[in-house]
Amino acid sequence: MTFKVFHRHLTFLVATLLCTAPALAEPVTVTDDDDREVTLDRPAERIVSLAPHITEVLFAVGAGDKLVGVTQHSDFPPEAEMIPRVGGYSRIDLERVVEMDPDLVVAWRSGNSSSQIERLRDLGMNVYVSEPRSFEGVASSMRRMAQLAGTEERGEAAIQAFLDEIETLRLDYADRDPVPLFYQVWEQPLMTVNDDHLIGEAIRLCGGKNVFGHLDRLVPRMDREAVIEADPEVIIGGGMGEDRPDWVIAWEQWEDMTAVQRDNLFFIPPSLLQRHTPRIAEGTRLMCEELERARQRRAD
Amino acid sequence: MPPHTADPQRHGDPHASSTESVHEAPGPDTLLATHDLVIDIPERASGSPIELTINPGQCWGILGPNGAGKSTLLHTLAGLRAARTGEIHVQGRSLPEYSRARLARELGLVFQKHHDGFPATVLETALIGRHPYLRPWDIETAEDYAQARAALARMDLAELEHRLVDTLSGGERQRLAIATVLTQNPRLLLLDEPTSQLDLHHQIAVLDHIRRIARGDRAAILVLHDVNLAVRYCDHLLLMFPDGKACWGPTRTMLVPSALERLYNQPLGVGEIDGYPVFMPRPD
Amino acid sequence: MTRSFLLATGVLLPASLLAILIALAYGSVAIPAGDLIAVIQGEGSRLHSTLVLELRLPRALAAFAAGGLLGVAGALMQVLLRNPLADPYVLGLSGGASVGALLAMLAGLSMFSVSVAAFTGALLSTVIVFGLAHGTGSWTPTRLLLTGVVVAAGWGAVISFLLAVSPTAELPGMLYWLMGDVSHARNPYPAWGVLVLVVLLALPLGRTLNVLARGPMQAAALGVAVRPVEWTIYVAAALITATAVMQVGAVGFVGLIVPHMLRLVFGNDQRVILPASALGGGILLTLADTLARTMIAPEQLPVGVITAMLGVPVFLFLLYRSR
Repeated sequence: MTFKVFHRHLTFLVATLLCTAPALAEPVTVTDDDDREVTLDRPAERIVSLAPHITEVLFAVGAGDKLVGVTQHSDFPPEAEMIPRVGGYSRIDLERVVEMDPDLVVAWRSGNSSSQIERLRDLGMNVYVSEPRSFEGVASSMRRMAQLAGTEERGEAAIQAFLDEIETLRLDYADRDPVPLFYQVWEQPLMTVNDDHLIGEAIRLCGGKNVFGHLDRLVPRMDREAVIEADPEVIIGGGMGEDRPDWVIAWEQWEDMTAVQRDNLFFIPPSLLQRHTPRIAEGTRLMCEELERARQRRAD
Repeated sequence: MPPHTADPQRHGDPHASSTESVHEAPGPDTLLATHDLVIDIPERASGSPIELTINPGQCWGILGPNGAGKSTLLHTLAGLRAARTGEIHVQGRSLPEYSRARLARELGLVFQKHHDGFPATVLETALIGRHPYLRPWDIETAEDYAQARAALARMDLAELEHRLVDTLSGGERQRLAIATVLTQNPRLLLLDEPTSQLDLHHQIAVLDHIRRIARGDRAAILVLHDVNLAVRYCDHLLLMFPDGKACWGPTRTMLVPSALERLYNQPLGVGEIDGYPVFMPRPD
Repeated sequence: MTRSFLLATGVLLPASLLAILIALAYGSVAIPAGDLIAVIQGEGSRLHSTLVLELRLPRALAAFAAGGLLGVAGALMQVLLRNPLADPYVLGLSGGASVGALLAMLAGLSMFSVSVAAFTGALLSTVIVFGLAHGTGSWTPTRLLLTGVVVAAGWGAVISFLLAVSPTAELPGMLYWLMGDVSHARNPYPAWGVLVLVVLLALPLGRTLNVLARGPMQAAALGVAVRPVEWTIYVAAALITATAVMQVGAVGFVGLIVPHMLRLVFGNDQRVILPASALGGGILLTLADTLARTMIAPEQLPVGVITAMLGVPVFLFLLYRSR
């Protein structure tokens, strides 16, 4: 037991001793990513998650058993598949949410419709809006959700593991030889990310250099010509599913590209990089390893 | 045909292209008068100014080849098109002084073509003739229905009042258009080829009725293609030449065969029936 | 006229109430009939009351108002163009309203300003379509309709462009402008205000529209001040369309189908057809949205999908029959 945790236990013990009545759960207040204060009289017991990655984060911080409703495609961890659905994230079935009578709804700002979030607030629900944009954001999201769910202890452990993993990767790879890289988010239209994106952060952390990192838009649409001209050393892509690297393979027709000649076309399952959950550490590790492989191929 | 009751007027000389037509001066009862009127036909550089005076009891016929501007003249007289120059007075007041609704009570127009945007019944179609008399919130009264039905009966359409207009034959549709203007009951009727698509019997029935209406305090202007019907039913004629020239005057003074031949660019033979001249086209 | 007016309201008013009742009764959560009655009497459980009164009722009212507005807008445009294919969607009014609203939303303006921008967009569309079609003097309904179709396509491209350049975070709230969706509907009462106002205005204008349906020349000869009436209709149609688009985005087929069907039953007196289109459009969109909410619940469909799925076959059938 670390000193911090011990200290908290001690405080709790003292508090209990000072109170004559049995301790009641205390109100929790956190600030969400919309800068709104969300206050619960007591830690949430019935939570509805409005996006697959939020479901994942809640499981990661130990609040999975408090989830009473999730959106379609909440497929990780496998237990999430058993939880009743409330529609797709872009169009929530509000009736189901109301029926579930949650004491906390966790919404996704860039995925859910703002008018539906507003509607839930109007109905008197506690809505926490989540929009992590960085590794630090993912960690802080986890921390706040753990606070709301009253699972700080499990949460803190998960956060620590996540941050440790990220830090390890940073120390290992960040200062290695830069590898020019193109990350493909989507095929039609062809889309990538810029440096401000969480995936951009992962690329830097692995010692990669995003060839389109300087673009203004978070998720720019690309012209294939621009990619060929930029001639990245590595192309990394997600895909429609977890084991369909078709998009990456499609680049093989441009045989003059450095990435093709050196066979530096790598597939990383999109759920490991494109969902803002602690699993992104795992995706980042895969990316770092692929970049290292590319560095070794330079010698050949 | 009744003898002309109007004052003797100098008529245009049909041989010279009529710029000398001098018209009767408008009187207090005059229904429609034009002064220096040149209709606006885009491709036509010039035209002779038309000076018409239409008095109660008169029935005017407009004759001319295709494209001479007969319909354009009717539309201009009804205020639906701007004239190039000149003025039009309806019952002594100039046309722009009228609101459309007020004008529609004085002056009714039957078009050559009839547009039925959406299917409506024969009775509904005749009933829109009452529109100029009703205020926005008014609903047609029994009296309005009675007038529409009377007009339909006049045009032999009483049996068809529940038929949809798009199921009518061309002649039936034409009679319905006339029934609509009869329901409208204006003092001056402008009719663009009222006999087109009608069988012989109905041509005569329609013209008889118009003639009857135009005998009292009303008047009619008819665009006709049949010179002989015009001779029989109209007391005044306006001849419109394709070059924009026009001449007008009492019918008997206008029936110069050479002028009519030039009007239609068609040799004509002349005969006589019941004291009326009859013109028959001759093949070249 | 009086008879078919009474017939139309006699049939459509109860049908409207029934449609709203159906929208209240069905949802992804089953509520037994007895409980529904209890809720209506003010005695239902808290859950059922929330579901029926706070979720289903405002949504049904929003759908009804928007559908009614679209029905009236379609009926008005069809009379104006003497063409049963005319509709605010086809003529680009919906597109203009969507673009106006999207731009205002991207600029971060208030909801009121967004509404004003939507109206401005619809009106601009009107001016462009009418102005272009009038440019060379005479115009035919076909020419006007073609101009409208092209302008509508242009707005579609502008919307796609705006969506392409907007921040990804804004997309979910914007896509519905393209397909029409009641789940985003806000307060339905302004739309109801406009609907009632429009129907009250349409009634005295109805006979004039009957005359106008015979063509502008014939109408003028029968005492209609054609140009002012035409512009009144265009401005009204722009206002109506913008109000509907603000509620539910660009729903396409209501304005096309509803007046057409009603004409088959009630004849073509605008004094009957306009109020009937308001009720008929409301009924159609309310029922369509109930389907959209329940068909594959908990997945929710945009109502534009349902109206298109209902509208396309009905429309093709009407077209086939009118050959």
